Amino acid sequence: MALPQRKTDIGPPNYKQFLPPVIQKNYGKWKYHEVINPGSMVHVAESGDKLWTVRVASPRLLATDTIREHCDIADKYCDGFFRYTTRNNVEFLVSDEKKLEPLKKELKDKGFKMGGIGAGITNVVHTQGWVHCHSACTDASGIVKAMMDELYEYFESKRLPNKVRLAVACCVNMCGAVHCSDIAIVAVHTKVPTIAHENFKNMCELPTVIGSCPTRAISPDPAQKSVKINPEKCMYCGNCFTVCPPISIKDPERDGVAIVVGGKINSLRTNPKFSKLVIPYISNEPPRWPKVVAAVKHIIEVYAKNARKHERIGEWIERVGWERFFSLTGIDFTFQAIDDFTFMRDTLRTASTFKW
Amino acid sequence: MAGKKYNTPLIDELEKGPWPSFVTEMKKAAKNNEMANDAVGHLEKCYSTRVGYWKHGGIVGVLGYGGGVIGRYSEIGNEFPGVAHFHTVRINQPSGFFYTSKALREICDIWDKYGSGLTNVHGSTGDLVLLGTKTDALEPIFAEYSSRGWDLGGSGSALRTPSCCVGPARCEWSNYDTLDLTYALTQEFQDELHRPTFSYKFKIKSSGCACDCVAALARADLSIIGTWKGDIKIDQSEVKNYAKTMDINAEIINMCPTGCMSYDGKELKINNAECNRCMHCITRMTKALKPSGERGATLCMGSKAPIVVGSLLSWVIVPFVKLEPPYTELKALIRKIWDWWDENGKPRERIGEVIEIKGMRSFLEAIGVPPQPQQIKEPRKDPFMFYTDDDIAAYKAKEAEEKKTKKYKF
Amino acid sequence: MDINVLKDKIYAFSEAAKGKKKLKEKDIIKGISEAESADPAEVKKALREMIDVGKLMYSYGGGASSVEIPSEEYLREKGLIK
Repeated sequence: MALPQRKTDIGPPNYKQFLPPVIQKNYGKWKYHEVINPGSMVHVAESGDKLWTVRVASPRLLATDTIREHCDIADKYCDGFFRYTTRNNVEFLVSDEKKLEPLKKELKDKGFKMGGIGAGITNVVHTQGWVHCHSACTDASGIVKAMMDELYEYFESKRLPNKVRLAVACCVNMCGAVHCSDIAIVAVHTKVPTIAHENFKNMCELPTVIGSCPTRAISPDPAQKSVKINPEKCMYCGNCFTVCPPISIKDPERDGVAIVVGGKINSLRTNPKFSKLVIPYISNEPPRWPKVVAAVKHIIEVYAKNARKHERIGEWIERVGWERFFSLTGIDFTFQAIDDFTFMRDTLRTASTFKW
Repeated sequence: MAGKKYNTPLIDELEKGPWPSFVTEMKKAAKNNEMANDAVGHLEKCYSTRVGYWKHGGIVGVLGYGGGVIGRYSEIGNEFPGVAHFHTVRINQPSGFFYTSKALREICDIWDKYGSGLTNVHGSTGDLVLLGTKTDALEPIFAEYSSRGWDLGGSGSALRTPSCCVGPARCEWSNYDTLDLTYALTQEFQDELHRPTFSYKFKIKSSGCACDCVAALARADLSIIGTWKGDIKIDQSEVKNYAKTMDINAEIINMCPTGCMSYDGKELKINNAECNRCMHCITRMTKALKPSGERGATLCMGSKAPIVVGSLLSWVIVPFVKLEPPYTELKALIRKIWDWWDENGKPRERIGEVIEIKGMRSFLEAIGVPPQPQQIKEPRKDPFMFYTDDDIAAYKAKEAEEKKTKKYKF
Repeated sequence: MDINVLKDKIYAFSEAAKGKKKLKEKDIIKGISEAESADPAEVKKALREMIDVGKLMYSYGGGASSVEIPSEEYLREKGLIK
């Protein structure tokens, strides 16, 4: 069968055709919203119209048949309209209250999980991992699944002082930009890369490779027509591997994950902040990464017990102090937690007013 | 289907538990699809050896474009022929991730015909990601999708697919039309999106308020954060209703970062001149508090993940702009920004890094934005600084004027 | 300058860099417009026309995009040669 004629530079379809009538009518005229429970909320427009949203968990990696199941539900209850969220949940939208309970019932009967709204834990932003990425040093989807199984009650019902945003990056490239999350898992390499010198000349550009190194650990190796890496300077970021395939950094015995905490992205109360390193290394332990999951759960429980209402993890830690965070959680303080890269001047303490 | 049945004891463990399982999704696709079936076996192997097998991207794409397809090959394609080629196709999502079932079914049907049936809804940048197809399917896929109104998203050293929060479609806090702006910018910059001409990637994300639901401030080279100039309107009767269930002093007044609010048990007061528009009170008392006056956005720039020299959050560049169609001024400003980056950036340098290297002054002068205290947390500490001859001439001229008027003007 | 002459110059420029340097689109535009005193916009137009018909192609490697002369394999896949 002949293919249809291709078109270029048409851009995405205009979003307006995908907005349900209640949104088209009340666009920009919403008055307020109320969270009914972690799985649903209602938006009320100036006109008095109401729009109920039911939020459903998604593993992000979806088979087309699952998307079709979403379509079936949207056809039955939402006149075919629905949306996905920036954190990859599914949202079914209804403007007729009579349809709300039947929709929820069908979702429940079909095994869909409702939740994620408000001061709890919603879906995890994450990267491709072993499923589909060349530079992954762990499997992001696997860690997310293991973690969310353990934390599921915070998605569905149990509340926290404020929301806790989780993220997983399968290497320091962080395509998910996880560096401003309440708790993020970032997979790390821990060994100096090896180089297949015989392929260097044909596959890599010398200045690009030297320039790719943030710590200036790479210098030319004229004898081999390649480069050498200074092990005293290398921080294993893997950027040289990205620009030059003959450089190899994967190591199944040594690749693992680090945990960073206390980041946030909104400007509510306090400014946005980066997440900071608290646990420098945990071995990769597929399929369920039990120590990683236990560490995340432990940090959340200590936060839940100690933070004031509305404080995010980073705000709570800044109020009580990082030394208190380490003593409350019992996490060992390590050399890796002291910055010796770009933020040393900003992060070392310059006063004797700390807590014991 | 005559596919090989893989024994997958490790990843089977990830089908247990309440959270929806990506392994279940992969197996669901594998029932009817040889590529997805081999992807399941391939992943089990990664779990058993604790290492990945995907190679660096290769050169694949559709004719005329330099992005939208990411080449992916397996190192162990002999063992898993279904994933020997397993390229990603990025479909540019509609603003706000709104769909109809009809549109999504069409996307699924085409994908089942030419690819693995596996997707990411959505990828981190915002595209609807189709995971896993072969090189010879790329042109047919593009013809099928583009003829039905769908285009590819960005990849490589190009403008990446812009994305935005749900905005005025379903949120009372949005200070500008994030969906319309995202659509307008995406259409305006189709060439920059499909044909990689930049030093490196460039991301644009639009959030309607300081809640920043698309994390623009952390991961977009241009982060457009909605805000307003004007008072917060207070509905005192709604304040009374909140007081029934909320300790307003503990939860609102004492948590206000500027201390510009007070509550005496009867009336809530805001000293609006001192408010920094952080949104805490508004998000907690949405029925009682509303911004008023001029609406628009703060333009911030430079954020990125750690590669190469550490992560950055975006810096305030233009404290306030109005954003109304056809957004002519913003479009012109973006082009000026790209021109400066093009002249000063080396390959693989994000704009934030180039601003750090060349200095904020060079950047601000090039795009015609004056220095303002809203751009900084605090001024320079050490007195090492550049003076141009023009700077000194201007300071001298000011002093000469003072001598005439007998009045200092600092 | 005649667009076909420009295209020949662009092709020769790309051929000379083959295997030595990965050319960014802006390297070509800058290089040709300076060498031939041509309007950069015209060079860009000529380049775009060449890429649209597979005379040149966008490539990706080493974490960045570049422009290069297509391989026979690419041309065959696009149905541009048998």
